[in-house]
Amino acid sequence: MNEQKYELVFCIVNTGFSETVMDAAKKAGAGGGTLLRGRGTADREAEEFFHINIQPEKEIVMIIVPESIKDDVLLGIYREAGLNTAGMGIAFSLPVDKAVGLGE
Amino acid sequence: MPNENEKIRHVAPMKLKLLITVVPRGKAGFYIDFIQSFDVNMQASVPAHGTASSEVMQYLGLTDPDKTAIFSIVREDRLDALADALEQKFRSIRDGDGVAVAVPLTSMAGTALFGFLSNDRRALKEETANE
Repeated sequence: MNEQKYELVFCIVNTGFSETVMDAAKKAGAGGGTLLRGRGTADREAEEFFHINIQPEKEIVMIIVPESIKDDVLLGIYREAGLNTAGMGIAFSLPVDKAVGLGE
Repeated sequence: MPNENEKIRHVAPMKLKLLITVVPRGKAGFYIDFIQSFDVNMQASVPAHGTASSEVMQYLGLTDPDKTAIFSIVREDRLDALADALEQKFRSIRDGDGVAVAVPLTSMAGTALFGFLSNDRRALKEETANE
């Protein structure tokens, strides 16, 4: 079992932008990821107030990264697929207590 | 029946973790059953898609992108044994390689839910205290 510390990066983006997320993450040193499909919910009144239209169909990208590059990965995702982009991505990380199957 | 001056305290005996296991879709059933044998009462599986780690590997058909992500609630005292067992299965089962990570759960709504998820009938401990 690896002793290296890992973080689990989640990124929720509009459908069609998962590849953008993965490209950004790989540029920062990440390996592969796992893609889930989901549907976002948004407060309709808030959408109207802020003049933001939230596309409901989402892709959720999960990427396990070494803790040492977590910030670089998140920054890369923010720049390429963040809220100010067409992907309107939200990325965050969770601490990983244990990880298996990651190899070297 | 406790009166309004009595309080009931609920004590959580152990912590829970969220285990996320990503395996080839064809092996999902096996891994769900396997993880359940470690006192896991709650799991959810979601179809997933692996991102190709190498264009060459994908071209050669050496990677199967169809995956299943299994979300399991695991007791902290069972996690080490489960992780060791999963690692052994990932190595030994043909076309059954996967990854698994555990993240901490910090809060939960309801003691009955906690008892169910931790598979511990003693999870709910009633104490009465006078004000």
